[in-house]
Amino acid sequence: MTTTAIETSVDSSRALHSVARKTKIVGSALVGPALILVVAINVLPAFYGFYLSLRQVFFFADEGYVGLQNYVDLFRDPFAWQAIGRSLVFTFGSLAIAVPLALVSAMGIRRLGNWGSILLTVLLVPWAMSPIVVALLWKWILVPSPGGLVGAIFAASGVPPQDLLTDPVLAMPTLILIGVWRNFAFAAIILTGGLGQIPRDLYKAAAVDGLGAWEAFRKITLPLLAPSLLIVISMLTISYFNEVQTIIGLTGGGPIRQTTTLGYLLYHTGFVELDQGRGNAIAIVMFMINMLLIALYIKILGKQPGAAA
Amino acid sequence: MKTGTRTWLVLGCLLAALVALGPIVWAFSTSLKPTNRIFQVPPELIPSVSTLDHYARLISEGVHWAFLNSGLYAVMAVLVALTLGTVAGYSLARYPIPGKQLVLVLFVGAMAVPGFAVLLPTQLLFVNMGLYNTYIALPLLYAGHILPFAVWVTRSHFSTIPRELEQAAQIDGYSRFEAVWKVVLPGAKPALLAAATFGFLHSWNDYVTATTMVDTPGLRTLPVALIFFQGFHGRDWGALMAGVIIATIPPVVMFLLFRKYLIGGFADGSVKG
Repeated sequence: MTTTAIETSVDSSRALHSVARKTKIVGSALVGPALILVVAINVLPAFYGFYLSLRQVFFFADEGYVGLQNYVDLFRDPFAWQAIGRSLVFTFGSLAIAVPLALVSAMGIRRLGNWGSILLTVLLVPWAMSPIVVALLWKWILVPSPGGLVGAIFAASGVPPQDLLTDPVLAMPTLILIGVWRNFAFAAIILTGGLGQIPRDLYKAAAVDGLGAWEAFRKITLPLLAPSLLIVISMLTISYFNEVQTIIGLTGGGPIRQTTTLGYLLYHTGFVELDQGRGNAIAIVMFMINMLLIALYIKILGKQPGAAA
Repeated sequence: MKTGTRTWLVLGCLLAALVALGPIVWAFSTSLKPTNRIFQVPPELIPSVSTLDHYARLISEGVHWAFLNSGLYAVMAVLVALTLGTVAGYSLARYPIPGKQLVLVLFVGAMAVPGFAVLLPTQLLFVNMGLYNTYIALPLLYAGHILPFAVWVTRSHFSTIPRELEQAAQIDGYSRFEAVWKVVLPGAKPALLAAATFGFLHSWNDYVTATTMVDTPGLRTLPVALIFFQGFHGRDWGALMAGVIIATIPPVVMFLLFRKYLIGGFADGSVKG
């Protein structure tokens, strides 16, 4: 802290300072290109979308500033509210099936050891496929004829062939099941990893204390798995909420708008009807709902004791 | 009790495997049947008469060009994302960077927000910039989509490699670049393969970006070409299922070859995130 000490170290500290500055410059230069591309592709369009949502844009022609008119029109449109409702049904319906299924699979996979990792691989094959190709495939599986796969199963059990995808009541559950078929195994990867981190000793101790399998699951597995479950639920919520490709391929939003989710409405309004001002308003609303859902889940699961243990 | 549980477990697994793979096997079976036997009742799982006509028909319709486009776009996107991503991941693990925390949050955020949410403004941006309907539109977008994941897995990996390793190489007379290229990078193979596999799957499997960003038939990807084929030829299920099979083989083979790294990459990322 004395003046002499400072004076003698000035030269070396200056040299050190210039080296530090140089490494900072080199570091930034190395991150720069990746950062620019990510910002240009993922961030910039969001701001541009917000800007466009305040303007009337139709068929690629910008017809000027309209303030919040696109949003006002959107929220006055009963079809938009219906689409939000359909999105919630699709998202939570899929979650309600996919998460328990992934959890059961993960527990089975861990118990089976090497065979378990083979099973995980098999279950992941549909996830590795293109969603639109999955849609084509299932359209054929579900073809309403005794020559189709599901038609043949129906015929064998005495039910006449039904077109599940054009039935107003059954179309949505069918879409949900296909969505779950496609990607629930992705959740199983993360849950299998999470289960592997729970110390086996805890289960032994629980057995000594006389806890049954169900109680051990409820008191050990579930709370300790909470962080992984949070990740899985958040990821699947985002994935299902933004699902659009299987809907385009399977139902095209029909029958009578029964499968028109917000994502499909965005696709239809923005890319088919080319009402791009309003389409961008939907995109911004979707973006906000995504953020809200993530925050909500973090809050719910953060309150559980698992995080502390 | 114990053997009973085991039996149920095995039965459950078999059922799960059947549900996962059955539809794909059925599609393959359909793609080999002559058109007049496709709707045969009761359906045959193993075709008694088989033909490659449906595959030949896809080629006569030029679908193989779309296959080639899909492959080229995916490879270009992966190369760009891996190059930029590895450099950025290394730099984030080793260098002091102003606002590093913010940069990391940005990459993680970009990973979480789905591309579809910003697809519409992106289309308008590309139209205004003259990038719409060009050969680089899709590789550029896919590279941007997979780059955050590439940065994330490589950074996580480089953080676990001790600095002493490359310092020792530098003492031996290597330049820093040589030290990284010859000593650090070969060890990062799992992270690079995880990013490459994820990137290939993302790019190859996309439909909605491809159908909204290019228009010319010569620029189409395989999924887009199949949907157009369906539009023109209605329900030619034999040819369509042949299309499903050729669209499924590359990503599934890629996934099967590198599943270890891919699954490891997701598990790592999630534990740390």
